[in-house]
Amino acid sequence: MTGKTAPARRTPARRRAATRRPRFAIAVTVLFFALLYLPVGVVVLFSFNARKSLTVFDGASLRWYRAFFRDDLLLDSLGMSLQVSFVAMAGSLLLGVALALGLVRNRGRLGSLAGLVMLVPLITPEIVTGVAAMLLFKGTGIPLSTTTVMLAEITFSISYVTVILRSRIAALNPETEEAAMDLGATRRQALRLVTLPALLPSILASAVLIFALVFDDFVLAYFTTGVDPQPLSVRIYSAIRFGVQPTINAVGTLMLAGSIALIALALAIPRLFGRRGGLDLLSGE
Amino acid sequence: MATTDDRPAIPDTRPSTPAPSKPVRRDTRLWTWLLLPGTLWMTGFLVASLVLVATLAFGTTDPLGNPRFGLNTDNFAALAEPAYRTVLLRSLGYALITCVICLAIAYPVAYAIALRGGRFKNLLIAAIVIPFFANYLVRMYGWSVVLSDDGPLLKALRALGIADAGTRILQTGPGVIAGLVYGFVVFMIIPLYAAMERMDTSLIEAGRDLYGGPLRTFFFVTVPATRQGAAAGCVLVFLPAMGDFVSAQLMGGPDQIMIGNLIQDKFFQGQNWPLGSALTMLLMAVLFLGLLGYLRRARQDEAEAVR
Repeated sequence: MTGKTAPARRTPARRRAATRRPRFAIAVTVLFFALLYLPVGVVVLFSFNARKSLTVFDGASLRWYRAFFRDDLLLDSLGMSLQVSFVAMAGSLLLGVALALGLVRNRGRLGSLAGLVMLVPLITPEIVTGVAAMLLFKGTGIPLSTTTVMLAEITFSISYVTVILRSRIAALNPETEEAAMDLGATRRQALRLVTLPALLPSILASAVLIFALVFDDFVLAYFTTGVDPQPLSVRIYSAIRFGVQPTINAVGTLMLAGSIALIALALAIPRLFGRRGGLDLLSGE
Repeated sequence: MATTDDRPAIPDTRPSTPAPSKPVRRDTRLWTWLLLPGTLWMTGFLVASLVLVATLAFGTTDPLGNPRFGLNTDNFAALAEPAYRTVLLRSLGYALITCVICLAIAYPVAYAIALRGGRFKNLLIAAIVIPFFANYLVRMYGWSVVLSDDGPLLKALRALGIADAGTRILQTGPGVIAGLVYGFVVFMIIPLYAAMERMDTSLIEAGRDLYGGPLRTFFFVTVPATRQGAAAGCVLVFLPAMGDFVSAQLMGGPDQIMIGNLIQDKFFQGQNWPLGSALTMLLMAVLFLGLLGYLRRARQDEAEAVR
């Protein structure tokens, strides 16, 4: 939750003088990047394999992509995952934006309580939230289905929306809102006409981010999904566990491409609006 | 997070008769209304469900395997059995080793990018972060292919003469740890990178001026200056590593199962929800202790910084 990092009075010349070429660090970094991308590269490469082998590449073909688009079970899963991501995105934005606004502005007891509750998903491992959500649904007699996955994903995503937007809202100049009210706007109008438009880039960016996170989420979906349909992540999990079909490489490649596009979009949105800073993904938390 | 108190510095001596609320204060109800839906939702789903887990941990199963609420500590007594203790200790060990390896990777990488990245800094960090947003399972599956017996890594190591024909990575403890490291190392790199960006590089210069070698300067200047980032990274890696069950499943065998696998088993195959809940509470307790230790350290650091 650090703001921007200020590269104070560090000129390139000074920095060069300070550190000689750290050969070891650079070597580790190169090796790290190689190992980081190797698994991704393997999945992409073998998704185009003409043979069924996962270790020998034997000519390029699109047969596994064709196989995926003919597989009704996987297509159903894709549909469900898209549906869940969309609903979770909308739901968590609605609740999360309101919560973030309230948290920044309400400094009473309710505010600090809400701030505490909101932190719970961030410090709880997913398996715990997953088990807990499953028990809650089973305990209240709600059959596990697409709806339960949606409910669980909304709950989990609210925290992300709130964390991202909270720092943005705190960084807004409260005087613009006060100016609007001095000019006769009610607080609600000021919120709608001044604050929300100023937050739009961050809201859009977190929407894209949540969509990608929910679409790729496995653990929570695994504990809260019914039998049919199952989210794509859960299908991939069963496929990996019980003998890999190369189709999974094709699905994996499509998912990789999708998430990378979405994350790049989330990072680019604030820039498209011509403002600095949107998601603090890159400056750490 | 610094909570700057921006309320006016008026002592809290209210007049005996309640003053008519000023127009500015009138509308604060709006903020309360904005807070309520999200807070209620989170309490209703998350807090309630966690309370349910805690309660069920004291329950039992009836002969049909259905969970029954109760008030006995059998489940916790069962956790003290050697079989469970081994798994818990193993999970702790794996998670701690994962933290250490992540530190060993993240320090050079963050150092190289923060100090030598130049104008490619943001691009390089994005190149690290973006793959981590890709599907966790697909990444782990790709990693398991890389580590497999006739995968590219072992082939390369064999060609270099480092590994022989019988060397395996999958189905071993190091394999599981490799999975955890690959899964979560980004959570170490980002806070460390942020800490290095904040660090005053003239400190390193000073270390060098005082005739510290590169290694000494690193351990006596860079590491202390960035230890808060390292501590945050350790927490961020330890939390998910401790609860992970995918890595042990894909990279390990029956002798490498972790507490996450036990929990999963109790809820899916074993159908012993109360015992599964007790395991979940145990996991939470371990993580909570770790978190508490971290917060205490962080507070001490802060106090020292103020002094």
